[in-house]
Amino acid sequence: MKPLRSLFLAPAAALMIVTIAVPLAIICFYSLLTRGAYGGVERPWTTENYRLLFDPLYGAIFLRSFWIAAVATALCLVLGFPLALFIARSGSRKNLYLSLVILPFWTSFLIRTYAWMFLLRDTGLINTGLQAAGLIHTPLPMLYNDGAVILGLVYGYLPFTVLPLYATLERLDKSLLEAAADLGSPPWNTLFRVMLPLCAPGIRAGAILVFVPCLGTYLTSDLLGGSKTILIGNLVQNQFTAARDWPFGAAASLTLMAVAMALLFAVRRQGEELL
Amino acid sequence: MNRRVFLMSVAGAAGCGGGVPRLNVYNWSDYVAPDTIPGFEREFRVRVHYGTYESIPEMLAKVMSGNSGWDVVFPSAEYVRPMREMGLVAPLRHDWLPNLQALDAAFQHPSWDPELRWSVPYMHGTTGIAYQRSLAPQPRAWSDLWDERLRGRITMLDDPPEVLGACLKKLGYSLNSGDPNELRRAKQEAIAQKRLLRAYLNAEVRDQLVAGDVGAAQAWAVTAAQAIAAARGELAFVLPAEGFARFADNMAILRESRRSELAHHFIDYLLRPEVAAKIVQATRTATANGAAHKLLPPEIRENPVLYPPPEVLARGEWFEPQSAASQSLRDRLWTEIKSA
Repeated sequence: MKPLRSLFLAPAAALMIVTIAVPLAIICFYSLLTRGAYGGVERPWTTENYRLLFDPLYGAIFLRSFWIAAVATALCLVLGFPLALFIARSGSRKNLYLSLVILPFWTSFLIRTYAWMFLLRDTGLINTGLQAAGLIHTPLPMLYNDGAVILGLVYGYLPFTVLPLYATLERLDKSLLEAAADLGSPPWNTLFRVMLPLCAPGIRAGAILVFVPCLGTYLTSDLLGGSKTILIGNLVQNQFTAARDWPFGAAASLTLMAVAMALLFAVRRQGEELL
Repeated sequence: MNRRVFLMSVAGAAGCGGGVPRLNVYNWSDYVAPDTIPGFEREFRVRVHYGTYESIPEMLAKVMSGNSGWDVVFPSAEYVRPMREMGLVAPLRHDWLPNLQALDAAFQHPSWDPELRWSVPYMHGTTGIAYQRSLAPQPRAWSDLWDERLRGRITMLDDPPEVLGACLKKLGYSLNSGDPNELRRAKQEAIAQKRLLRAYLNAEVRDQLVAGDVGAAQAWAVTAAQAIAAARGELAFVLPAEGFARFADNMAILRESRRSELAHHFIDYLLRPEVAAKIVQATRTATANGAAHKLLPPEIRENPVLYPPPEVLARGEWFEPQSAASQSLRDRLWTEIKSA
C-alpha cells in the first residue's frame, strides 16, 4: 500500500518542489547577494539588502500596504457576510447565485480592472450619468486615489470571502439559532453571540484569502491608483524592472512573505479568542 | 536520455526546425509591420521566431545569461555601451549591410556608437508635452506642468529617467545628471508637482487625452501623434523650452548568435527603404532611415510631432548610461517620490 501511495504522490510532490521550493530557494539565494550593474546578481554575499528594509522609507511602505489590505479585507467581510447568508438561505436558487459570484473569474482580472477605469473616469459612465442627471456639475475625482484602489481590491476579492462564508453558513445548524431565539435572545444578540462565533472558521479563511493577495498587489495600485502610491508589491516589481536591483527586490518579497506567514499563524492560534 | 542528447535536441528544436534555418528575433512590441516578418521568411526561405518585450530590463534579464537563444535584439541607445561592455553584442560586418547607406545622415555617426560597429539605429523619438489646445496659456515648457490651475489634469510618465529628467531640465541641469545635489533638487521638484498630478501614466494617457480627461501630459511623441490623429484637432504637442529627452532604438546582433550571416541579412532587410517605410506606416513611429522617410506619404513625412525640425531637435538630449552609484541614488529617490 505504502509504495503505491508514494508513487501517486510523486508527480504532485515533484511539481511542488520544482515550482515552489526551487524558485523560493533561488530568491533566498539572490537576496543575500549584491546587485549587478544592469540587473542580475553578483558577489560578495551580504545581509545589506535586509538591513536596508529597516529604513523608515520602506517601513512606511509596509505600513501603508498593511493598512490598505486590512481595509479591503474588512470591507469584503462586511459585504460578503450578508451575501453569503442570503445565498445559503435561498434554497433551490443557491447554485445559480453561486455561479453568479464566480462568473467574473471567467474574464481576466486585468480586463475587469480596466473596465473599472472606464466607469470611474472623469468622462466615464458614472460621471457622465450624474452630470446628465444634473446631480453634479464638475466630474467627481473617483479614479487615481486610495479609494479607487480599495474599491478595486474589494471588487476583485469579494468572491474569496463569500465562498468560505457560504460553506460555513450552509452547514450552520439552524436549531442553534432557534434555541437562542427561544431562550429570549434578540436577533442582533443571536447574530453576534451565536452565529458569528460559529462562522469563525469561514471568517478566518475568507479574511486570509483576501488579506494575503491584497498585501502583495501591484496591478490595482498602478491602474486604479495611477501609480501615485507605492505598495510593497510595486516596490518589489520596481526592483526587478526599472531599478534592476534584484537582491533588494528578493529581500523585500521574502520579508513580505515572512510577515504574512507570521500573521497567518497568529490568526490560526488566536482566531477563536479574537472573534 | 542523458544530458548531452537532451541538450542537442533542445538546440535542434530552437535552432532549425525541420531543416529550415531559423532566426530568433527579440523586439519591442508593435515595432514591425504585419508583413515584415513573413516577407523575410519567404525571400530567404527561413523561419523567424519573433518575440516581443515591453521594457529593456525585461530583454536584458533574458539575454544576460549569454545563452538565451536570441540572435537579433533592439537595445535603446543608452544600453548599447553597457551591452558591449558586458560582451553581449557582436561587432557588425558592414560588407554584409549594404543598405546602411539608407540611414539618415543624422544617424550615420550617433554619439553612442559613432562607427556603427555594434548597432544600427532603427527608430527614434522624443519626450514632450501633449496638451489640449483649449488651454490658456498653452504649455511651452516643463515648468508649465507645475501650474496650480491645471491641478488634477496633469499626468507624468511612470518612468524614473523621464520624470527625473523633466525635473532636472526644469532646473536647468542635464537629464543625465549623476550629481547627488542636482538629483535631490529634482526629487523636491517632483514631490512638489505630485499633489497637482492626476496620475503617472505611460501609453494609457492616449485615451484620456482624446477623451479630454487630461489637460497636459508628459508624453512620448509616438503616443502624442496617435492621440492627435484620434482627437481631430483638439490636441497638440510641444517640445519644452528647457530641453527634452531624445531616445533611439537600435538593431544589434548578440554575440551568442550562431547565425551571424542570416542575422546580418535580417538587419539589412529592415534597412531596405521600402521595408522600413512600410513599418513606419504601420507603427507611426519615426524612422532613422532617411531613404525610407522620403518614400512616406506627406501626412506622415511632414508630421512635426514625429519629425521635428533640426533647430528644435538641437534642444534635445540623448539618454546616457548611469553609473552604479547614480543609478542606486535615482532608484531611492524614485521610491521617495512615489511614497511622498
